[in-house]
Amino acid sequence: MSRIPRIVYLDNAATSFPKPRAVLDEMMDTYSRLGVSPGRGSYDLAAECETYVYEVRRRVNDFFRGDRPERVVFFHNSTDALNTAILGLASPGSHVVSSRLEHNSVLRPLHHLRDRGLISFDLVPFDGRGFIDPDDVAKAIKPATSFVVLNHVSNVLGTIQPVSDVGRMCAEREVPFILDVSQSAGVVPIDMRTMQVSAVAFTGHKSLMGPTGIGGLVLRDGVDPKPLRFGGTGFESWSPVHPENYPYRLEAGTLNVLGIIGLNAGLRYVTQRGLGAIHEHEMSLVHALRDRITSLDAVLLYCAENLHNHVALLTCNIRDLDPDDFSAILDGDFNVATRSGLHCAPLVHEDLGTSPRGSVRFSFGPLNSLDDASAAANAVAAIAGLRSQ
Amino acid sequence: MPTGEQVKARGYFTRTLEGRDVLFDDEGFLVNPEDWTEELAEALARSSGIAELTELHWRVLRFMRNYYVQNGRAPLNREIRTETGESIMEIERVFPGGIRGGARRLAGLPNPKSC
Repeated sequence: MSRIPRIVYLDNAATSFPKPRAVLDEMMDTYSRLGVSPGRGSYDLAAECETYVYEVRRRVNDFFRGDRPERVVFFHNSTDALNTAILGLASPGSHVVSSRLEHNSVLRPLHHLRDRGLISFDLVPFDGRGFIDPDDVAKAIKPATSFVVLNHVSNVLGTIQPVSDVGRMCAEREVPFILDVSQSAGVVPIDMRTMQVSAVAFTGHKSLMGPTGIGGLVLRDGVDPKPLRFGGTGFESWSPVHPENYPYRLEAGTLNVLGIIGLNAGLRYVTQRGLGAIHEHEMSLVHALRDRITSLDAVLLYCAENLHNHVALLTCNIRDLDPDDFSAILDGDFNVATRSGLHCAPLVHEDLGTSPRGSVRFSFGPLNSLDDASAAANAVAAIAGLRSQ
Repeated sequence: MPTGEQVKARGYFTRTLEGRDVLFDDEGFLVNPEDWTEELAEALARSSGIAELTELHWRVLRFMRNYYVQNGRAPLNREIRTETGESIMEIERVFPGGIRGGARRLAGLPNPKSC
């Protein structure tokens, strides 16, 4: 096995890496003490684990300003949570509004339902700067619309969508509004009450700085997806019917306690450091990269002329260079890890004109430094320079 | 070996090269990596604009091919760089189609999954 050099990790929009030492230490320490089945059994440790899990629900609920901790439901990740929300809220004959900015975690469940003749949907466009128009969402809502589901932040463009306006319009029309906060939770404040969001789908392994395998849904009162899974809950085992009360209604089987501990530690990390401070730090890095490479002739940047209302990711290509090869050169020659391809958001690339090969995405995290941004900029400049010759 | 229906559905096509029928996917990658020979690589190189494979081309192709046969997967970027002694950027430059569509394809490796 060859020695692995230090990498400049710029794929934080996929999974933040590395994790803060405090998160890893807390996972090891707490799991060593409490890693049993929460709420199962009559021994003290099971009860203590259940209490711990409830405290994390409370922390998540406070973080997103939900209605109550019981309505924080844990899943594996955002995709899992979004599948539950979309499949659980859709009913035969219903209509859904979404956008062309969405990740496949939204698009594929919608197509799955439409292909079976169960629903119809409309996808609103985004403009040349990467933003949807809330008026387009309002116009797309029909009497049969059962919910609106949108990306808070595009995972390709990094643009923060005007979701408060969408929330207001949905509330006025009494249409539930599901928000995918995969890219925003941990860097952009999310207040479900003031933003009038009915449900948020989050994942722990991106900007919340937790491990992979933990995420969830926070549901406002009155938003009740049909359960898609049934099984053990640790109580009422005599009943053949899965319980209706939250969070058990949507949780079946033993929870990912190690993931929940990591999520808790990650939430503590981002809260203590401050979302504003994290966002400001990361944006200083993406600005540094953008400002260095924007004038290079061979570099094609997408929706990055103005980084206002953005998170710290940058999408680009080098003229006549396959994005996979661009990313391979960055990795193999410069130790810079990036993400190439369509980023599981094919419609964004279709509209950018970058299909089918996609682009290369640089995404910063709280543990990146200005040296990392400089290393990436130097690498892009070197590659672009040779392509221009 | 894919069935006739799979061949049709996936857009595979057959080319006669070096006197035998060889199955390719819609991007020109070998469907059956075991079909690869050095003569086949030369034929693929000619059809992609390389009149004659140089020592560098062969160093890259043989390394990638041997690595794939031994490990069942493509080499890592840093392994290509270390073992061929050449930068990824230079390898990308000398193969029409670059690393993925050039070197990897000519070495008879499977079409990599892209996101």
